[in-house]
Amino acid sequence: MKNFIEVTELKKVFGDGEDEVHAFGPATININAGEFVSILGPSGCGKSTLMLMVAGLLDSTSGKVEFENKLVNGPKTDIGIMFQDNTLVPWRTVKGNIELQLELRGLNLKDYQEQINNILKSVNLDDFADRYPNELSGGMQQRAAFCQAMIHDPKIILLDEPLGKLDAMTREKIRADFQKLWMVKKPTVIFVTHSIEEAVQLSNRVILITPRPGKIDREINIDLPYPRDLKIKRSPKFTEYVNSIQEVFHKYGVI
Amino acid sequence: MKKFIKWIASGWMLILFFVGFFLFWEYSIPLFDIPRYILPSPSEIVLKGSADLDKLIYYTGVTALETVLGYIIALILGVGFGIAISFSSILRRTLYPFFVSIEMTPKIAFAPLFISWFGFGLMPKVIIVVLVCFFPIVLNAILAFNSLSNELTLFYQSTGASRLKTFFTIRLPAALPQCFVGFKYAAINATVGATIAEFIGSDKGLGFYISIVTGNMRPDLAFAGIFFLTVLGLTVFGFVTMMEKILIPWHISMKRINK
Ligand SMILES: Nc1ncnc2c1ncn2[C@@H]1O[C@H](COP(=O)(O)OP(=O)(O)OP(=O)(O)O)[C@@H](O)[C@H]1O
Ligand SMILES: [Mg+2]
Repeated sequence: MKNFIEVTELKKVFGDGEDEVHAFGPATININAGEFVSILGPSGCGKSTLMLMVAGLLDSTSGKVEFENKLVNGPKTDIGIMFQDNTLVPWRTVKGNIELQLELRGLNLKDYQEQINNILKSVNLDDFADRYPNELSGGMQQRAAFCQAMIHDPKIILLDEPLGKLDAMTREKIRADFQKLWMVKKPTVIFVTHSIEEAVQLSNRVILITPRPGKIDREINIDLPYPRDLKIKRSPKFTEYVNSIQEVFHKYGVI
Repeated sequence: MKKFIKWIASGWMLILFFVGFFLFWEYSIPLFDIPRYILPSPSEIVLKGSADLDKLIYYTGVTALETVLGYIIALILGVGFGIAISFSSILRRTLYPFFVSIEMTPKIAFAPLFISWFGFGLMPKVIIVVLVCFFPIVLNAILAFNSLSNELTLFYQSTGASRLKTFFTIRLPAALPQCFVGFKYAAINATVGATIAEFIGSDKGLGFYISIVTGNMRPDLAFAGIFFLTVLGLTVFGFVTMMEKILIPWHISMKRINK
């Protein structure tokens, strides 16, 4: 049986000649529909590059990406994607920026007003709906960008370190909310993160990437029940997963 | 009212400086015994200038018409070509380097040619104003429309929005701040272009007036003409700055916070 997403021998080399940078791969990754997969790896190993290629926003040097047997050869539009640098525009308020996603997709803003309020509430930004991005802190901007990426209720979600700039508490809350949302709607998620604990808490499977050029070191299935609340996070099994991943990166000398 | 007081309060040093400057000017004329046909005093400029007020106002209108007409045409052409060049790789490799190399020639050097081709009327002046305004506008517009961040480009691609829609919702607003850099620079150039064009060949306008009265050894009237030119220049520039505030208020407030 074919998988929902198939990444086959995907490789990216930037530049040519002396400027050549082998950024990623070759690597093969298969993802099932509704699966939550985290990508963990040291800085510069090609995680963002991988994500852009999967989204069809960056051409690969070799290899291919397929969604349900269909080759990706241009930008995929049936996704929600959050980039490492936020895509908020300075001339729109937080709410306006969320609406930007809907407007560009030709969706009716009226139908989404309630969703916008709800998602803003879930990231504690409801009081800042009418503020401009430059009036927000870095972490608040990131939360607004998260809402922007998610508002159209995508079935495929690609997130590049979406919670990286958040304080520990807000981060914990958004993780929990996001997990709840995933359990209900079961989108397919590719989640790039630097936090081992976050990857273990959220994912069905964690893919560990080697230092650049990123290849797959190993894939670890996280066999813990959802929702993964505090009790599970304190369980020995959870700690074991975290420790085993730490050991892998320790081996590479990145921690 | 409060705002006005605040404005006075923040600008008092500048006001004081101007007052001091004109007082110094006024009293250094008798002090250093400067002949009036070299440098008249401010009070004399006001006095003699007001006798010629009708003419000055009419000529200001003439120069203003040349300036504004030329500026608007340059604006339309500059933004139009800027967008075309930004979105066409053929134009980017042909017209763009052509414009960049012409930018190096002082456009005002064409003024005598245009006067000899098109005569003394309105048209050659407007053409010269267009010429001096067009390049800063088009070059900044090209820069503006090419500097969209990589993430935003990827973002709109991932939404599948049409080119037209992304142009109006993302590319155009993102480009406006840099476009206004060109608009403001051109606004300064516009009156300069009109004045020099009138120096070279005309029978009305403030440039014409200044060159005639200077020839007649009337520096007082020349200064009066310069004063009206300054007012015209400030008005044009002020209008463009006001448009910037209205069209991109978010950009202004961003600059303020970054300070
Ligand atoms: N557009 C580009 N041109 C040239 N090299 C690039 C480009 N984008 C990325 N690279 C290089 O590819 C490598 C991988 O970059 P990438 O951004 O994918 O890393 P990453 O794993 O996302 O890192 P981080 O965790 O720091 O975000 C880096 O060495 C980077 O310098
Ligand atoms: Mg990255």
